[in-house]
Amino acid sequence: MASSAKRGPPAARRAVLGGVLGAAGSLALPGAGRAADAARQLGGRPRLVPMRVGLDQLIDVKCCIRPLRAAGPNLAAETVGNRLVIHNYGHGGSGWSLSWGSAEVAVGKALSVLPKSLAVVGCGIIGLTSAIVAQRAGLNVTIYARELMPRTRSFRASGSFTPGSRIALTGPAGAGFGDQWEQMARFSWKMFRTFLGMPGDPVAFGDSYNVSQKPIERRTWPGDPAITTNWETAGLPQQNAEFAHLDSRIRDIVPQPVDLAPADNPFATPFAQRSSQMHFNFPAYSHLLLSEFFERGGRFTMRNFHSPADFAAIPEKVIIHATGYAARDLWQDRTIIPVRGQTAWLVPQPEANYALRFNNMSLLSKADGIVLMNNNPDLGDMLGVGDSNELPNRAPLEEALAAMAPLFAPLAVAGGAV
Amino acid sequence: MRHGGLLLVAGLALTVSTLATAQRSREAGKAIYAASQASEGARIYAVRCAMCHGRTLDGSVEIPGLKGKFMANWAGRPVGDLFDYVAQAMPQPAPGTLADIDNARLVAFILSENGLTAGSVPLAVDRAALRRIVLAPVPPR
Repeated sequence: MASSAKRGPPAARRAVLGGVLGAAGSLALPGAGRAADAARQLGGRPRLVPMRVGLDQLIDVKCCIRPLRAAGPNLAAETVGNRLVIHNYGHGGSGWSLSWGSAEVAVGKALSVLPKSLAVVGCGIIGLTSAIVAQRAGLNVTIYARELMPRTRSFRASGSFTPGSRIALTGPAGAGFGDQWEQMARFSWKMFRTFLGMPGDPVAFGDSYNVSQKPIERRTWPGDPAITTNWETAGLPQQNAEFAHLDSRIRDIVPQPVDLAPADNPFATPFAQRSSQMHFNFPAYSHLLLSEFFERGGRFTMRNFHSPADFAAIPEKVIIHATGYAARDLWQDRTIIPVRGQTAWLVPQPEANYALRFNNMSLLSKADGIVLMNNNPDLGDMLGVGDSNELPNRAPLEEALAAMAPLFAPLAVAGGAV
Repeated sequence: MRHGGLLLVAGLALTVSTLATAQRSREAGKAIYAASQASEGARIYAVRCAMCHGRTLDGSVEIPGLKGKFMANWAGRPVGDLFDYVAQAMPQPAPGTLADIDNARLVAFILSENGLTAGSVPLAVDRAALRRIVLAPVPPR
């Protein structure tokens, strides 16, 4: 498996995954799963433990609605009866990623009236982090919700750090939103660092490969002048250019993709990028958060809320409202736009600790399974907009399974079949 | 809440008066729907609801069931609250697309599946009337 940095794409296509699949059958060298770099220290081409990708590995399909709110998350305060309600909902596809920063804002507002106790309505990732941030500030906290995590929509996310995913529409969000988003994203990022390396890997990093037959370019979404309607006039965003794209504001701390030379590409494609991607292992992370909540004396009360007036019956005088998509009906906030997404989950394969993206499809190996997505690249942020159907559609997921399996097949090494 | 402020105020006023009215006229234990209405609701349920909530209304890990815990969450409230929720939020893929008469049938069906006694008078498609009926829990059988 000699390699050369000057080798061109056709040769690279023949040279891949060979270290593992060619020399050691379908098994990896012990300890080589963390990253290609680890295997390189043993000599030869970087190599990865191949993921087993097929229907025989499928254990779950999940579908969920992201609560995109046109103006970005609602963090406003209002009074209901004699209760002070601080909103913390509408985080699009960025709830997990922005949770700590958003909770800091909401709890900060709650603390301004010097409460001793606090109610949190909702127990997804936003409610739970809000509760913990309040406890860490010394408050007695009760969560009121229909469901406790994991039976919340949050738990049906994919679990990768995506702080800018469907977080707002640029126009309705206004000029100041970028700064607020950046503050929340940077705050959250630092907080996630405090969970790294803990038992069970609640929050972890892995290498993420983006492989392609064509040179990889960052996709941009210039406005289409032919589209004359927008969210304000049509009630739904009409094109990608309406969405806020803010991720570049934190690229100084969040690892960015680097182009891989053919000799460094473990896959049978002429082009590849690698980045380091942070992700959340839902079972370990949610267990850790719930444990902290209850260890600090937190209480949970099962309750279904029908209207804002119900909040007046909550004993605590200060309430953080974190019901996510449910706020659309509970608070009659019609600026929340459903954005449907779905994932398939394969048996966990911890020895293959990396992510792979190919065209519109992706695989992310986590402790709680390998998550598969198949997102139409031509739709971008518009994929799933306005769709509140939460029933999974297996067909595109099965298509992606079939389409990605060859990336790991030994035949791809010799024949360049990918 | 730029867009929802007025709605919110209106909704608050409505709901506060709703609860007061409902508490004055608790009708727990009385038959509040007709058996035929529930049967019609079952037919609608099979087509519009069962794909998510399940043929037996048991839901899933991710989708709320419409029995047991469901009643714990809705009991003690005006049946009008449940009617309003079904009418505005369901079916989730196409909220608000069912006619009120069908929403009343669905509520009747759900109540029958939760053990509430059927009578001869249908649940009215009349929001004021629905607000006067309080949902009473039914002991398990």
